[in-house]
Amino acid sequence: MTAVENPASQQDSTTYRPSPVQRFLPFAIAAAVPFILGSTTENVNFWWKALITVVVLAVVARMAWVWTPRGELTHREDMRLWRTPSDRSWAAVTTFGLLVLPFILASDFTPPMDFPWATWFAVVNLVLIFAMGAAAFNLLVGYSGQISLAHVAFLALGSIVGGIVGVQWSGGNMWVALPAAALAGAVVGAISGLPALRLKHLYLLLATFGFHFVMMLVWREYLQEYFGFVGIRFKGENSPRIASWLHWLPGIDPDDNGEFIITGQFRWYWVLMPITVLSILFMVNVVRTREGRAFAAVRDRDVSASLLGINVARSKLLAFALSSAVVSMSGVLASFYIGSRGEDSFNVQTVLNYAIIIVVGGFSSIQGAIFGSAFFWFLPEWFKWAREELWIVRDIDFLSDYPSEIDLAIKGFLVVIILMFKPDGLAGLWKDVKGWISRSLARRGP
Amino acid sequence: MLLAFGNFTADPSVNLQLLIGGLALGAIYAVVALGFVLVYKSTDVLNLAHGEFLMLGAYFALTFLISENLNFFLGVFVLLLVMLVFGLLVHYGIMRRMVGQGFFAIVLITLGIATIIRALLLIFYGPTERARLDLLPQGSFEVGGATVRYVDLIIFGVVAACVLLFFLFFKYTRLGLHMRAVADDIEAAAAMGIDPDKVYAMTWAAAMVMAGIGGLLFGHVTGAIDRSIEAIGLRAFPAAVVGGLTSLGGSIVGGLVVGVIEQFANGHLGTKWREPVAFSVMFVVLLVRPTGLWGRKDLERV
Repeated sequence: MTAVENPASQQDSTTYRPSPVQRFLPFAIAAAVPFILGSTTENVNFWWKALITVVVLAVVARMAWVWTPRGELTHREDMRLWRTPSDRSWAAVTTFGLLVLPFILASDFTPPMDFPWATWFAVVNLVLIFAMGAAAFNLLVGYSGQISLAHVAFLALGSIVGGIVGVQWSGGNMWVALPAAALAGAVVGAISGLPALRLKHLYLLLATFGFHFVMMLVWREYLQEYFGFVGIRFKGENSPRIASWLHWLPGIDPDDNGEFIITGQFRWYWVLMPITVLSILFMVNVVRTREGRAFAAVRDRDVSASLLGINVARSKLLAFALSSAVVSMSGVLASFYIGSRGEDSFNVQTVLNYAIIIVVGGFSSIQGAIFGSAFFWFLPEWFKWAREELWIVRDIDFLSDYPSEIDLAIKGFLVVIILMFKPDGLAGLWKDVKGWISRSLARRGP
Repeated sequence: MLLAFGNFTADPSVNLQLLIGGLALGAIYAVVALGFVLVYKSTDVLNLAHGEFLMLGAYFALTFLISENLNFFLGVFVLLLVMLVFGLLVHYGIMRRMVGQGFFAIVLITLGIATIIRALLLIFYGPTERARLDLLPQGSFEVGGATVRYVDLIIFGVVAACVLLFFLFFKYTRLGLHMRAVADDIEAAAAMGIDPDKVYAMTWAAAMVMAGIGGLLFGHVTGAIDRSIEAIGLRAFPAAVVGGLTSLGGSIVGGLVVGVIEQFANGHLGTKWREPVAFSVMFVVLLVRPTGLWGRKDLERV
């Protein structure tokens, strides 16, 4: 009996391949529209722009959804970072959102109920810096399983390199300090990872904690030797600026003195956002490579990993070096963004804050680091707003008497509750919500 | 300059004073380390909240002994009772659900507990610092040109008594035997009819009582009682590690060794060297002998 061609199965296996234009058009639109909207800030009503934004979002998501390869995927397509229609739509929407956000935040819009608008820009920039550091922390602690508390030591290292290369040598050249910090972070990170070759879990945690204290000593000595009591100033004459030979670039109008100094939230956003997005994409891609899979294998069982032919020592040191390089870079960014670093800028509490961020966001998920840092910085803002404006809540004296203490308590309770009931944190919650939406949208089968 | 060996002195009385100060500091470290060791030995949990437990003990001591002005022994009894109840709360409320979770998740949950305790203490006691406790004898006497405070001697005695008590408890009582069995192999112990839940609850209660004693003692030697005294929890880590995280007696020896080393670093190199030196000692011990001087060695099966 000869095989009968089944028309239905043939239709299922027809493969759909978008053209290169179709593949990148959604992202191109997502990138172009915010600038068009932003350049017409004065003329167009806010609500018109909001409407255009929503329409563009829908169109972009739809295009990304439709123009995704279907049918049998080739290996190359299967390995793509944004593989499914939903991945691609979210990527396009996120691109659009990141580009449109600064224009929205810079406009003088007053949301209903006096929701604070002006302070949000600073919070968004802090979230960007912290997301970068937290993602690197998560890469090391969550994904590679190398428990390290030396996180703040590398923020301090970033400040030291920023101080030496960026301030003392070049008088505010952050662009040189960033790669220098990445290099120094990688080298020192690999050295700080040496105990990981011999120690595990608890003992590794304690050893890296020792490294933290040694680094704090170095930081204080460096400060005392060159800067004294006031600490390093990364602002004023040391602010980073765009070199004059780059002033022809679009969107860069030099100030009256002929310089383009990176100051104010809007300009900082355009420095921080690309660096953060690129470094997070870098880390997302690292965990998809051979080395990244080796990290996970070493985390799960290092002896078995070595039997699979993985060089365990190399893998561990590489994880430390990568993570520390990115953390040091975020340390440079934070120093220049905040503007000054003194003796008490780094303490144990900061390590704990980063731990809270990655727990709340979702352990061993790089997406979770973003959620966690956003939550960490927005919570005090929301709470402040609720305390002052929200109906009923504003009448509770207890809340306005102890604002920061209650913030702290909420964070503590959240860590405990999330670890007890939802160990994958906000990232897991987001996955649940996405699954719920796609299930409710999915056509019911015949 | 990183390596500035300042004000080195060979004066014997100065060194004797440093030695005595180091032993006193070491006794405090031993109290704190004993709390770590108790929890780690039986439940395999690294309790980063122990400094906060201690702070809780110190503040409760303030409430019961100073504000309420109870009789000393009654006050201490009430203090330890309240701490015991808190220990049971920590176990039955939180830690019980975390049994079997990953190592770092449990470390982080103790961090969450620490944050909650810090926030609640700030709300109920406020950020103002209080004078240190003065219920134990305050005087001092001279030995060879160095001053010895009575409080330090008392602390030393209490720690030694606690270690002896716990040693006897683990060796000779039924509950102690259960604790050792559960620490050794929780599944085998459960199969033999031991209730690990109860054993863990008892462990947390004991650790909290130890933290209450520690808070009461530390409240007598700290500069002032405020929210920075939790730092003693982190500073006692080297002591616990040097002695071995699973050894009760080791916590005393480790405490004294680290205390003396720290005090000498403090006296001869300067205050900023205190923590780096202590943690470097810990680092070396970890590399050479990760289980500490008397720790239990574990074999790992693949």
